[in-house]
Formats: sequence, structure tokens, C-alpha cells
Amino acid sequence: MADDRTTIERPDQEVAGGHTTRREILKKAGAGTLLIVYGGAVTKTSAAGVPQFRGRELAGTLRIIQWSHFVPAYDKWFDNVYVKRWGQANDTEVIVDHINQADIPARAAAEVAAQSGHDIFFFLSPPAAYEDQVIDHANIVEEISKKRGKMKPVALKATYNAKTKKYFAFSDNYAPDPVNYRTDLWGEAGLKPTTWDNVLKAAPKLRAMGHPIGVGMSNEIDSNMALMAMMMCFGSFIQNKEQRVVLNSKETVAVLKFARELFRQGMSNEIFAWTAASNNQAMLAGKLSMTMNAISITRSAELSNPDLASKIDLMPIPKGPHGRFGLEHVMGAYVIWKFAKNKAAAQKFLVDLETKYIGAFENSKFYNFPSWPSAVPNITRRVERDPVAKPAGKYKVLAEIADKYTLNPGWPGNTNAAIDEIFNKFMIPQMFAEVAQGKRSPEEAAKVYDRSFRGIFQKWRNLGKI
Amino acid sequence: MPLTRRSKLVTYLVVGPFAIVLAFPFYWMLQTSLKTELDLYNTENVPFGFANGSPTLDNYRFLFSDTQYAHWLLNTVLVGLAVVVITLVIALPAGYALARLSGRWGQSLGVGLFLVYLVPPTLLFLPLSRVIAELGLQDRLASLIVVYPGFTIPFATWLLMGFFKSIPRELEDAALVDGASRLGTLVRIVFPISVPGILTVIIFTFSLCVNEFVYAIAFITASDSKVISTGIYTELIRGDVFYWGALMAATLIPSIPLALLYNTFLDRFIAGFTGGAFR
Amino acid sequence: MEAAAMPRRRRRDLLEERRFLAPALIAPAVVFVGLLVGAPLALSVYLSLTNATAGSLTGDFVGLDNFSHLWSDPNFRTALRNTVVFTLLANAIVVVGAAILSHFLVRDFRGKWFLRFLILLPWAAPVALSTIGFLWIFDSLFSVVNWTLVHLSLVDKFNPPQWLGEPNKALAAITTVHAWRLLPFATVIMIAGLASIPKEVDDAAKVDGATGLRKLWFVTLPLQLPIATIAVLFGIVFTATDMAVVYILTRGGPFNSTQMLPMWAFQTGIQAGSLGPGAAIALFLLPVLAVVTVLMLLFARRVEVT
Repeated sequence: MADDRTTIERPDQEVAGGHTTRREILKKAGAGTLLIVYGGAVTKTSAAGVPQFRGRELAGTLRIIQWSHFVPAYDKWFDNVYVKRWGQANDTEVIVDHINQADIPARAAAEVAAQSGHDIFFFLSPPAAYEDQVIDHANIVEEISKKRGKMKPVALKATYNAKTKKYFAFSDNYAPDPVNYRTDLWGEAGLKPTTWDNVLKAAPKLRAMGHPIGVGMSNEIDSNMALMAMMMCFGSFIQNKEQRVVLNSKETVAVLKFARELFRQGMSNEIFAWTAASNNQAMLAGKLSMTMNAISITRSAELSNPDLASKIDLMPIPKGPHGRFGLEHVMGAYVIWKFAKNKAAAQKFLVDLETKYIGAFENSKFYNFPSWPSAVPNITRRVERDPVAKPAGKYKVLAEIADKYTLNPGWPGNTNAAIDEIFNKFMIPQMFAEVAQGKRSPEEAAKVYDRSFRGIFQKWRNLGKI
Repeated sequence: MPLTRRSKLVTYLVVGPFAIVLAFPFYWMLQTSLKTELDLYNTENVPFGFANGSPTLDNYRFLFSDTQYAHWLLNTVLVGLAVVVITLVIALPAGYALARLSGRWGQSLGVGLFLVYLVPPTLLFLPLSRVIAELGLQDRLASLIVVYPGFTIPFATWLLMGFFKSIPRELEDAALVDGASRLGTLVRIVFPISVPGILTVIIFTFSLCVNEFVYAIAFITASDSKVISTGIYTELIRGDVFYWGALMAATLIPSIPLALLYNTFLDRFIAGFTGGAFR
Repeated sequence: MEAAAMPRRRRRDLLEERRFLAPALIAPAVVFVGLLVGAPLALSVYLSLTNATAGSLTGDFVGLDNFSHLWSDPNFRTALRNTVVFTLLANAIVVVGAAILSHFLVRDFRGKWFLRFLILLPWAAPVALSTIGFLWIFDSLFSVVNWTLVHLSLVDKFNPPQWLGEPNKALAAITTVHAWRLLPFATVIMIAGLASIPKEVDDAAKVDGATGLRKLWFVTLPLQLPIATIAVLFGIVFTATDMAVVYILTRGGPFNSTQMLPMWAFQTGIQAGSLGPGAAIALFLLPVLAVVTVLMLLFARRVEVT
């Protein structure tokens, strides 16, 4: 991430898409004397980026914004290698800006309000609420499908609105969400986290050893994902295929009871305090015996504590009474705004990115799984041969998880604006935490949250989005 | 007035603990910023000590060589200074006019301006975002320079109004009699006496600018135009991985010189406030 | 000014004219603030009356529906209650702390400069960053507070207090951070208040034999009151409209028990895309705060004048 002046070229004088110089803009701002000071500073820093296209006419400018990837090397590759090459081949100046993942919604809202900003905007979850503001991404999907076959159902259901028949986003990747568990500790307990039953059985022993289970019930993304997946394993769903709320069920009561038991017997109060980083840190500190997260934990451990890394193994989500159902951990979702200035280049960029996804797959250290499986040949063999994995072949299971146990939030229905709202207001962790702490009975919680989810669904139904 | 030994002791016993509590987080940032990740994530280690390769300056090195931290600092200072200038240019005449030239409605207007602080920035950034785009300032530092005075001018005007009221009218009248114009009097007589008030405005304005972050997130994503709050969030919190050591270093670095600066000018700041807020 | 085209003579006369000069000097401030705060505020009010979604600045008019629906949302009620609690508690701590601290900081003693520097630090640190420091201090596993308590044998090593994971403790933690960051500024303002007490009052008090606590209670505190009002005013504004502290520490958790209005407005209006309801939440306290502010400002000035 050495130099994230992520432009192929950002000429000193040109503002993307306009013909105003920075100096003029500052004059407009009336910054007066400060202009001179600032002008100097700009010249100095801009000199660092030498334009590669000097003397050539650029066909256009493409502006992309995406999160700062948890693997810094991915950003380096994307900004400095991939985008550069693509820009040269397509005679386009590509500017990539990065933003903290948590700041994405604020910036997206600001761009929509301004009706101006980047051509391609990256979300980390399906942005159903923005449907009216984006183009239909069907062309991109079609184009890629011509070359790479079928899109993965998880990506399809997360980005397609069945009611309006519109692709409100384009998913290039998703991250599978495996169980991370400590082989040494579970070995001592004499069990494996293959079923939720086993987890509950092992939990008291593991906690007594000082290594509790860590399934979060806090206002953060990992808790959201783990709990929603656990619900599905018990046959509890927020909505059905027809996008009607079906939360109030005996299965929901069962999963809430189970989670309460798991908390009482095998977890500690920490799970209510967590940020998205907490389960990573608790695993890295060697405290937790099990948690659910994408591969950021093992990847960090490989860098800072290889010994510990070799004791953490990955598995598919434990099986519940209803079966084994997992969720994606994050869903990469690009949108092209209706007000984007360079829609053509934007579409081509996304098609090209997905069609040859190997670079992205490898540079993300297998974090980004392609939404078109055949966009990366031999996925299983590639993950199996991960050079740093200890024990060797550790990441092979990711391919299996991606294939069989990765669904979209809101499954069996499509991900929609109501699911998104429930997700962003952390209402699932709230429901679980209230039951775990004894604030509500499982029965009452199922009823209360069913009612409030219906309200949210009704609101979006009235807006014609469900 | 020299203090007796007893009251000296009492002073230390009261001020000391306050200082310790208030400054502790900064000591803690320093401690954390000098640690390796391995040391940090080892619960067996004594957090007040060092182990596993600590202490190290790696986090600081990382900030300055692998991120554009220095650049973000500079941007923050530039925005702060530019906003200070704009604020003074607009608030000085307004404060004077409200103090001297207008009657009761001036008072009400002063209070009215103050209400600006109540408007929550949580959503206000949306309409403003439109304004910024219309002006062609998206992703430019200038966007912040234009927006911030919206909430620095009111306080500045209000404070300066009070300050000008405290200046004896006779001084001005004498100059006016000598044939100076009102504006001339303002520039040559009134403003120089008002230095403490102006200083108060400068410090207050600057600290508001450094603290703001909602607009900074919404308006600027280009890495070389970011200010510290937003730049650090982008580079040092990656998904679910926090770079704690570097985060702490990044907080510590601007805080210390700013606190030194505030402390140096504190007596004048206080004088400015005394003059301004209560006349 | 913009009257540059006018003949010199006339321009000067106009500028001497009070009726003209005052508005001319005030206008830029009013225009600036009106455009940058007034207009967007008006638009926010409009949005709160619509069903606008996800960043869109238009929507269908729904009247006061967004406001009336708020009441049926328990999370909103929690947020409202917490906003009031945070604000009152933090400011109570700040006022008492600042009153004590300012009383001693007007004295002269060795090492004062350094102690004052330490005390000013929280004011100098950008809040979005210093709160990250607290996130680390209150961490669920690496909390230095818990480490200390464990080693003093005050808490259980295996289930230490979760400062951000239990409703009451999380409320306390958030209040602490607010108080911590507001205390330096309030202290400075209070020192200004002490400095504004005329020397004669001090002398008169001495003649009357008022010393120590009696003097503090009957002479100093009443005179400090107006300036304390200003400190509280800023304190209220900075707590009630701030989102950073809660956003970074708990995001409203555990189970949305530390929600507060700006945060809930942001989650509803920006993150969840229900802009209309979000705007209603954001604006909910505005009238109350406005009344409080006007009263306090009038009080501060009135006390001074008489």
C-alpha cells in the first residue's frame, strides 16, 4: 500500500471530467492568500505521479471507488498493476479511490445526493436500497455469462430484484464464511465442530480450559453473518421465497434457545462487546477455541504468528437440525450509477475484471471468490496448493464451502432492501443478545421481531421494491 | 499571591489526578504505538511493559513511509488555516456591526446564528454534497474549506460581538473626530485591541476543523486530498483488521503539538473569552 | 465591497451611514450561514416529511408519518432516552470537574504549565481518533483497565467486566469518553469566568471575612455561573449532536441499548437507506435544543448585564 495515489495518471491541471484547474477551483473558493501556499503543496505532491500517457489523447476517464481491502497487497495489485494495464489497453485514464469499509454508505449517499461522483461504486453488501439510482446491470451479467457460463446462485440472488426484474448491482466476488477452530484445543475436548450439537457439547469443556466459543452477538458484521447462518441451520428464516416474513416459527424459537444455551455454557460476555475485529484478535491472542469468519484470521496469523496459524483449521459451518447452510461473509457488489459519466467504459471494465478473475483471486489470497466459478480455472487445486498454508491444503475446504454452503442473506428469498435494513440495523444480533441475556424469552423475541420485520418489509413493499 | 505550603499541596493533590486521568489515554497510545503486533496480542504479556520485539518505531515508520500520513497532516493544517482566514474575514465585520451598529435585533441575530450548532451533521451532509458537486469541488480540499465556515462563523461572530462591546467607545469616537472613516477606525483602532478575541476565534475554529469528520468522509475520497481522520480510517482499518499500533501513533502525532500550541496561547485565549462571552 | 463601481465620494458616505453599514457588514455572515446551513436544514426538514430513500433528495410527501411512526419503535425510544442521559450525565461531570479544576488552575504553582498541557491533550486530539484510543482501552480482551483490575484481584480473570458489552457499563463508558473530551474546554471557559471576576469583589469578600468554602459558595460560584452556562451550552451541543463516540465504541450495541439519536438517524437514513425516517430522527431533538440554547444564552448575557 506504499503509494496509494491510485491513479494511472492524475494530471496536475485536469480535474476528472471537467476542465477546471485546481487553482481555479481554489480561487472560486475564495481562499485568497492561502492559494499560494496550497498551490505550492499541490505541485510538489503531484510531481510524484508522472503521467504515462503524455502526448496521447485519452479516450476517457473512469473513476472507481472501493474499500481498502483487508489484504493490502490486493490494493497494490489492483491499483498499480491491473488497472494500469487495463487503462493502457483501453486508452482510458482510470482513477481508483479507496475508502474505509464502514464509510461506504455515507459516501454512497453523498454521491447520490450530489448526482455526481465515481462511475463505479463498490459496496460490501448488496445495496438494494439504491436500486433507483443505478443502471440495470443485466448487460454485464449477460456478457460475462456468454464467456464464463452461469453465475453462482448466491451472487444472483444477492443482486437481482425479482419484483422489478432488475440487477441492482453486479457481484464480482464473495467471500466464503468458514468456521475457524483450534485443532489442538478441540482435540483435547475430543470433539470436532461438525454439528451445532457438538459445539454445544464441547463448549463447557473448552470454556473451562479458558478457551470459550466465539459466536458474536454484537452490532457488527461478523455477528450478523454467523447468527443468520446459524438460524438457517435450524430451519429459521427471516423471509420465504416469496419475500414474506416468516420469522415467527418454532424453528426460530429453537435456534434462539440453542444460542442462549451456547452462550450460557460456552461463551463469555465479551461477545456482546465485539467489533468486527474482535474475534480476529481473540483468535490471534489464542483465547478463542472457535469462531466464524472469512480467512482474515488465518492470513493475519500466518504473517505474525505462524505457530498459531498451524493450529487453526477451517471447516464448513456446523450442521444443524435442518441441515448445513452457510452465508457469504461479504459480498462484493459494484454498481454503476445512472449519473455515471462513463458508463460504457465502466461496463467494459467490470466485464473484463470478471472474465479473467485469476489475478484478483490470487492477489486477495483467496479472499475474493469469483461470482462466476469458471472465471478462475481449477479453483480447488489452486486453494489446495496455497504456499503458506499450514497444514498444507488447509484452504482446500474453501472451495467446498463456496460450492455447497454459501447462500445469500435473506435466503431462500432474494436479498432485498428490507433484508438490507434489518442487516444494517443489527436487528438479528439484537434479537439473539436480548434472549441470551434473558431480556426476552425466545418465544416473545420471535414474535416481537417478526412484527417489526413486517413493518420494514411493508415500507419497502409500498415503495415497490419487494 | 504566593500560596501557603498547605494550599500548594492541596493544589497538586487536586490537579495532579485530573491531569493523570485526562492524559492517561495518550500515555496508553504511546505505549501501544511502540509495540509489535505479537506483543500486543499476547495476553500473558504485561501491557505496561514490552516484549516480543517491542519497543519499536516500526509503526511510526510505517505511517510515514507506507501511507500518505504526512500529506494528510498537511491537508488538515491547510484546511484549518484556510477556514480560520475565511472565518475571520467574515466574522470580524459582522461581530463589529452587531456590537456597535445595530440595536436589539443584533442581539437576537447573534443568538440565532448560534443555533447553527444544533443542526446535526448526520444528514446535513447530503444536501451539502449537492452544493459541493455544483461548485465542482467534489474530492477537493476546497470542499471542506467552503463548508466548515458554515459552523465556525456563528461562534466567531457571537464571541467577537461580545468582545467589541467591551472596547470603550471613546477610543473610536476620538479617531472618528480626527476624520478617520468608520472602516478605517475598525481596521486601525478596533482590530488591534481585539487580538485576544481574534486568537480565541482562531484556536476555536481550528479545533472544530480538526475534529470534524462526517463531511470529510462524505466529500473527499481521493487519497491525496484526505485529512487525517479519514485517511487513517482508510489505511489503518482494513476490513476487520485494525492496525492498532499505527492508529495510536497517528492519533498521538497531531495531538501533542496542538496541545502545546493551545497551552502556549491559553492565557490570551482566556482573556479573549472573558472579553467576548460576557459583554 | 461590491460597491466598487460607485464614485468614491458617494461610497464613502454610504459606508458612514449606520443604516447601510451595519447590514453590509453583517450580510456576508448571514448569507454564508444561510446558504451552508439554513438551506440544507430546510431541505432536511422537507426530507423528513417524505419517503425518500438512499441519498435521493426527493420523495413522495407523507406528512408527519415519519415522526408518528417513530414512537412505535423501541430502538428510537432507547435512543431518545440515551441522548438525554448521555448529555445530562456527561455535562454534570464536566461542570463539577471544570469548576474544581479551574479553581486551582488560576493559582500559580511550579509545574503548572506542564500539568495544564496534560489537561489540554483531550481537547487537542481529533475526536474520531481519540475515541479509537478508548476502543482499545475498553477492548473486550486487551483492556488495560481490566488487566489492572484483574491484577488487583478486583474482578474475575475469566469473566472480566465488558465495558462495551453490558448496557450499563457501556453507557458509563460512553459518558466517560464524552466527559473526558469536553472537560478541558469547559475548564478553560471556567478559568475565563474566574478571570472575569473583578478584583474588587475579591477584596470586598476578604474584608467581609469570607474565605474558603464560604467565599466559594457565596461569592465565586454565583459570579462564575454565567460563564458556566456557556461551558454547559457547548457541552450539551457537542454531546447531543455527536455521533463519533457511539459510532466508534458500540455502534449502538449491545442489543441497541446504547443507541442515541444521531447514530440511529445515521443507521436508519444512511446505512439502511430509509432517508425520510432518518431525517425525522435527526431533527427530532432540534426544537428542544433550540429552546434550551436560547434560554441559556439569554441567561448568560442577562446575568452579566445586571
